[in-house]
Amino acid sequence: MKKYKIKLYPLGKELEVNENTPLTDVLHEYGVEFPCAGKGTCGNCKVKVLSGSIELSDNHKQKVEKLGLEDNRRLACLSSCTDDVTLEVDQFAHIILADETEFEFTAQKGFGVAVDLGTTTVVAQLIDLSTGEVVAVETLLNPQVRFGSDLISRVQASLDGNAQEMTKLIRESIGSMIELMLEKHPAEPDKVVIVGNTAMQLIFADCDATPLAAYPFHIDDLSKKTFDANELGWNFNTNNKVEFHSSIGSFVGSDILAGIAATGLHRKEKYTALIDLGTNGEIVVGNKDQIVCASTAAGPAFEGANISMGMRATTGAISSLSFENGEMKAEVIGNSKPKGICGSALIDAIAILHKKELIGMFGEIASGEESIKLAGKVSLNQKDINEFLLAKAAIAAGLDILASNLSIELEDINEVYIAGGFGNYINIENVVSTGMIETEGEKIHKMGNTALIGAKMLLFKDADFTKTILQKTKHINLEGDPNFQDIYVNKMMLL
Amino acid sequence: MSELIKKLSECVEFGKVDKNSPFPPQMKGQDGAFELTEQALKEGIGSQDILEEALVPAMDRVGRKFSENKIFVPQMLMSAKAMGAAMVVLKPYFISGDIKTKGTFVIGTVFGDLHDIGKNLVAMMIEGSGWSVIDLGVDVSSDKFVETIKENPGAVVGLSALLTTTMVNMEEVTNAIKEASPETKVTIGGAPVNDDFCKKIGADNYSPDPQGVVEWLNKLAS
Repeated sequence: MKKYKIKLYPLGKELEVNENTPLTDVLHEYGVEFPCAGKGTCGNCKVKVLSGSIELSDNHKQKVEKLGLEDNRRLACLSSCTDDVTLEVDQFAHIILADETEFEFTAQKGFGVAVDLGTTTVVAQLIDLSTGEVVAVETLLNPQVRFGSDLISRVQASLDGNAQEMTKLIRESIGSMIELMLEKHPAEPDKVVIVGNTAMQLIFADCDATPLAAYPFHIDDLSKKTFDANELGWNFNTNNKVEFHSSIGSFVGSDILAGIAATGLHRKEKYTALIDLGTNGEIVVGNKDQIVCASTAAGPAFEGANISMGMRATTGAISSLSFENGEMKAEVIGNSKPKGICGSALIDAIAILHKKELIGMFGEIASGEESIKLAGKVSLNQKDINEFLLAKAAIAAGLDILASNLSIELEDINEVYIAGGFGNYINIENVVSTGMIETEGEKIHKMGNTALIGAKMLLFKDADFTKTILQKTKHINLEGDPNFQDIYVNKMMLL
Repeated sequence: MSELIKKLSECVEFGKVDKNSPFPPQMKGQDGAFELTEQALKEGIGSQDILEEALVPAMDRVGRKFSENKIFVPQMLMSAKAMGAAMVVLKPYFISGDIKTKGTFVIGTVFGDLHDIGKNLVAMMIEGSGWSVIDLGVDVSSDKFVETIKENPGAVVGLSALLTTTMVNMEEVTNAIKEASPETKVTIGGAPVNDDFCKKIGADNYSPDPQGVVEWLNKLAS
């Protein structure tokens, strides 16, 4: 297969990709969001072609004209790689919020670094605080994954005496990510803001994460942790202390605090929900008066764990499925042969199979066969379908119980924001038809990496900002609800 | 086998709780497990026969289908609920001793762990196979298990855990039980558990699904 070079400006990143790779696949990794999900209607993913060319289909041309873009502009969501190109990514110059208004910030001097420390992925961005522009980006697989992919396995590693090793690994990694960015953009960072789940914070801060191993899961100190750069072993200075923000509860961390900030949920009159379809499946519901949140065990299935051919949203993963002219059509990330299936396509598969009556209301394979072929060598077996049902029921039950906690009905939730690694690829119609989020499709918005967006916002905010959010936010234990089992089991069905 | 017993057995297998329950759709409006058990008693069918000829075989079919991945949690829970409805009617006969159970099974999720759906399903399946079940709930201490065994000599114990970080507590519980009562048999289950772990901690049995526990228990009882 032919390869092409893509240069991303102003990041100074150079990548090599397969011919016909969708730009969505390339840019997603660098924190670019696609609010309209690739329909080409919102214009948020527009890029300027500085050299080389991107082919323009009729549909693409229409959309570009409708949005009134200049000739050298393209929509990344409708583009694929057919030439060596240099692109200026519009989004790196603006912090974009879900309501598509730019984040209001008070311009400051100097540079800041925002880091989203995920259980699986770490993303860091260097921001010019005077303009809000992203001037450099680095992404990395969390080096702690060698101790296991989910959060509990990291806690287990802490119990096994590997806590210090994990602390050292993550401090070094984030330090060198920032160094790489500073090499491209020489500056002394004024601020570094890090967000992540509670376990990630405790391990980074060299605090004891082992209480997360078992009930009552009590963490004494959830507060913000601050550090000097040299104390973290970093080879550069920061003018202010490095901040790792406060966790909300034992299983809901500052990544969700940042997510609340990014959605502006805490300022809204009407009830709003944020669902992070990452490893821990956190859910938040609230408005300007009160906010409740919880974590569910939904994530792993969406990230490919426990699914026989499951994988994360990387090259070779089927990212979406549709049913056209009597057959299943698969989109594969990186335009390669399908190797496996990621969370978004798993949702598509279940929705389509149920609609076509190939599986029943309990997910049972109607033909009685062991598995169902999806595309190429990729198939789903009965256990995979069951895993999906457990995951989708965890989300649906979580949303239901949080709503009851606020004494509201699901209909009272005005907007639902979806965050998380594969969020960009999700087909909302299919999410609704599986019953995972029980609301109308038009209320659901994809927001991409809300933790990173929120972390950037926190660079411009003082301590009072997070304090007001934390004061009205309550952490709920879903399994403590006496009706949890009935609600959860009920939500496993496909209706 | 009488027509009534056959119908009752079907109600349990397919999860028809009572006349008003909407599930399963194809049995809508028909009598459920609750009504049919009452009718069977009225017709003079013995309580022990109702248990052994209707309920136990039905739950056996449910357990098999579950372990073959033919049905999933919701259907199993509906069946367990239907069986529970029949058990409510039969309760006086258990108390009076008219119904002889195969033995007593003590079950709980070990301390540090709050997950109970898997444990509940196992408890219901075992009750449905003709055992008396004492469910100690979740976050159960070693002391509580030991105390319950002392109150119920000859009882078999089942331990559940869902997290890799809490399954280790099974070892402590098993040790405490074996120390207080060496002849007591212990079976373990839960997503992170396997046969090697079972051997390592000195438990007597591991089953990946409820049916496995039922079959092991029935071997013990025979």
